[in-house]
Amino acid sequence: MVLSIVFGFLVLISSFGTAYGTDTDIFCLKSIKGSLEDPYNYLQSWTFNDKTEGFICKFIGVECWHPDENRVLNLNLSNMGLKGQFPRAIRNCSSLTGLDLSINKLSGTIPADISSLLTYVVTLDLSSNEFSGTIPKSLANCTYLNILKLDSNRLTGQIPGQFASLGRLKTFNVTNNLLSGRVPNFNYTKVRASYGNNRGLCGGPNLRPCQAQPSKSNTAVIAGAAG
Amino acid sequence: MVTSTCKGSFLVCAILVLDLVLKVSGNAEGDALNALKSNLQDPNNVLQSWDATLVNPCTWFHVTCNSDNSVTRLDLGNADLSGTLVPNLGNLPNLQYLELFNNNISGKIPDELGNLKNLVSLDLYLNVLTGPIPATLGKLSYLRVLRLNNNALSGGIPMSLTGINSLQVLDLSNNQLKGTVPVNGSFSMFTPISFQNNPGLIQPKM
Repeated sequence: MVLSIVFGFLVLISSFGTAYGTDTDIFCLKSIKGSLEDPYNYLQSWTFNDKTEGFICKFIGVECWHPDENRVLNLNLSNMGLKGQFPRAIRNCSSLTGLDLSINKLSGTIPADISSLLTYVVTLDLSSNEFSGTIPKSLANCTYLNILKLDSNRLTGQIPGQFASLGRLKTFNVTNNLLSGRVPNFNYTKVRASYGNNRGLCGGPNLRPCQAQPSKSNTAVIAGAAG
Repeated sequence: MVTSTCKGSFLVCAILVLDLVLKVSGNAEGDALNALKSNLQDPNNVLQSWDATLVNPCTWFHVTCNSDNSVTRLDLGNADLSGTLVPNLGNLPNLQYLELFNNNISGKIPDELGNLKNLVSLDLYLNVLTGPIPATLGKLSYLRVLRLNNNALSGGIPMSLTGINSLQVLDLSNNQLKGTVPVNGSFSMFTPISFQNNPGLIQPKM
């Protein structure tokens, strides 16, 4: 008799709601807030005391997959004066497809393993920050990328050639950086690429052709011809 | 009153008769919603205010109208409703938000929902709907949100949906859809998350 009551109770509990929020998305946002400096208090609404289903969906900058389920679809923290490094905790927002951190004062490097932090990213906007270092090759593994904006930062080195394999890429903007070298061999009928105001990019539309590399055999021929 | 006035002035008589006729002939949008009410079981009486004798449905709870008394929103999410949807729902030309999520609604998604040319959000998620996703939904050229997840929908994903350029949020997960996932048109923006837990669905490699 007691067993059947207990069983009935368990069945009743398990039938409550088929939707599920994830604790990891809550952890994601809490950690991001903790890792960034927020001098203008834009993230004031990000409080974690109330734990009702979908509470993070009401946070500024947060767009959820469904209004009463704690699962982040897009995160838009543009123009909030935020300082600090790229928030690695974003990896815990495992259903994220859009990230906009543009127009802030974020610094340091773009993580070398960024594709494991943003597996499903479709739109990534890191423009107008103070990111330095190179553009990680890892971004070439973000196969769902449609829009990649890295413009107006302090990025150096070469753009990874592997980016040409990003089959869904439509917009690629790296203007106003310190980049050099040959640009990826994009299909420019599909990709709108912006390369202006860098250090020495070559090989693409509106760019100078890349200079041929001098090799040992060439110098020998020239020496032979001169002698 | 009509007959005594009719003895006096023909014009006033005509206006009174016309007024009566209009009241009696009813409102097409109210009729559509009433057809839905007739097909639903409503244990919590959320549709109690739905009075078909009123001139239009704009005072009914969970119904929102614009300034022309035409229905723009239907908000019946989380309402414990069961029963089926009706083709008459397609007769709401200014409907922008159709919110029927988290109920116990069964049966098929009517093809006629493709006639809702101003629809911006279609939320039928968390129900027990069966049958295919109608290809007619591809006609919804202003649709931004399409959430049909957590039902028992079958068949393939209609190619026509890839032509909806305004689509921003798509969730077809947790159904019994089959075939391949389109990657062209607006679907280039959607990742496996939108299609997960459909055992017969083949995700694209790229």
